[in-house]
Amino acid sequence: MISETPETHKKLELVCPAGTPASLRAAIDNGADVVYLGFRDETNARNFPGLNFSREELAQGLDYAHQRGAEIYIAINTYPQAGNPDPWHAAIDDAATYGADAVILADMGLLDYAARKHPDLNRHLSVQASASNPQAINFYVETFGVRRVVLPRVLSVIEITALNKQISVQTEVFAFGGLCVMAEGRCALSSYVTGQSPNMNGVCSPAGHVHYEDQGDQLVSKLGTVTINAFAPEEKAGYPTLCKGRFKARGTVSYLFEEPTSLNVVAMLPELVNAGVTALKIEGRQRGRAYIAQVVSQFRKAVDAQADGTTLPDMNLTSITEGQQNTVGAYDKTWR
Amino acid sequence: MISSTGMSAPLSPVLLLGLAVRPLPLAPLQPVLGAAMTAVTRRYPNIFERLSSLENTRFLIDPVDLPFGFLLVADDQAPQLRAVRAGQAGDVAATIRGPLMTLIDMLEGKIDGDAQFFSRALVVEGDTEAVVALRNAVDGSEIDLFRDFLDKLGVLAGPAMRVSGVLQKIYDTAMGDLDSLRRAALAPTERRHDMVATKIRRLEVKLDELSRGSRARRSQS
Repeated sequence: MISETPETHKKLELVCPAGTPASLRAAIDNGADVVYLGFRDETNARNFPGLNFSREELAQGLDYAHQRGAEIYIAINTYPQAGNPDPWHAAIDDAATYGADAVILADMGLLDYAARKHPDLNRHLSVQASASNPQAINFYVETFGVRRVVLPRVLSVIEITALNKQISVQTEVFAFGGLCVMAEGRCALSSYVTGQSPNMNGVCSPAGHVHYEDQGDQLVSKLGTVTINAFAPEEKAGYPTLCKGRFKARGTVSYLFEEPTSLNVVAMLPELVNAGVTALKIEGRQRGRAYIAQVVSQFRKAVDAQADGTTLPDMNLTSITEGQQNTVGAYDKTWR
Repeated sequence: MISSTGMSAPLSPVLLLGLAVRPLPLAPLQPVLGAAMTAVTRRYPNIFERLSSLENTRFLIDPVDLPFGFLLVADDQAPQLRAVRAGQAGDVAATIRGPLMTLIDMLEGKIDGDAQFFSRALVVEGDTEAVVALRNAVDGSEIDLFRDFLDKLGVLAGPAMRVSGVLQKIYDTAMGDLDSLRRAALAPTERRHDMVATKIRRLEVKLDELSRGSRARRSQS
């Protein structure tokens, strides 16, 4: 199967996060084509306290989006607990009933449920499914009628180009925000320490297990009983996850997995268009509406400039990024 | 409010105002804070609905540039806000500490809480889950303190807006002046710091050369 020929000035779809109705409005008002969100439970991978949408808020959000020509995707991207699929089935049923434009799923059982029960509801494959090769992606397309695949953050642009030539489905890639250690859907670090994971419970390093101690000369972060990091007074900080912790190994303290840093691929938009990518995803449903407004407005300008063939605008989003530094991550595998 | 932490207060008009009001009692503030909390509860009911799982969690909101802090009791039926001196807050689940203007901007959703935390402009201690819930609830409520204040004034809103514009200009000027003062006061220290840093860099280069020379000699012998 060969995908359509990439068009140099094709306009990328901008898929933006929202954790609250206020953030949803901020995203749409600043130029989001699509807002993705989750319900207030463990059916989505941002199951944080005080975050996410009630059914009533979803209905209002859908009205707000559709009146402005935007769409809403519902992330139902955790894996159901054995013997307790009901909350996940209810989430899919309600997404269909309320008129969501797509559901983002990872679990094969849920994909099958959605395909059988709501065949007209668009199904996107979540990054949590970690489908990164043509065989896996084509299986999801042929078996469950998946319309789009969110690619895991392990592929270079060259690999995405090659992949798109072997599949007949839209691809969406992460463009900005927090990074995992490239094991989406398979990471067990959070479970190891807290018993809860993004895959099953929708939380990585849940806040209830995180403690900060301001010791005057340093800020110490702990996950459960494990010390994750210690920051000097002026040092930039990151999220208190194991993968972004600083540990001592062979006598040296360093970031063993990855430094706190944020993905930003704005400079690679032309390459991503040429690679046949359909949509860009902004990470950060857990972030505040100021972050969402700022990032979405900047990416709106960049995507429009790319489509118009004009110079990409300078974007300075460093101040709002984790660790106050940026990377293009695996898209340009400089370590190879 | 609390000086025993790694966070120092920025030199700002708020800090100077805080020093000026330090001797005054906090009691006159309580009716204002009580009215403010009643207004917030009425106007933004979603905040406490999102916080319903917390059940009377007590937060200490600690502006580092004021001589007092605020104790927030997040009760979804009867939330309370009280001004407290250091050591008077009692047991709290969590403390949120930062400059007053940063805390207000966060309250109004003008800046992102995570970004403030990454840059170390904000410090949290204690029950992180409660802090995250509070942050999300407040951020999702689109609080606009100035708009609420103007609404209360009715026909006086217009003049109040003009006065506010003047006050904003005075504040901005004062911030600029204080920044100049801070830079002038720190200039000798910064020069000394730069000299020491240069000297350390030179010594590091020299040490590296010596160490490479030593390794080369060892490998030849």
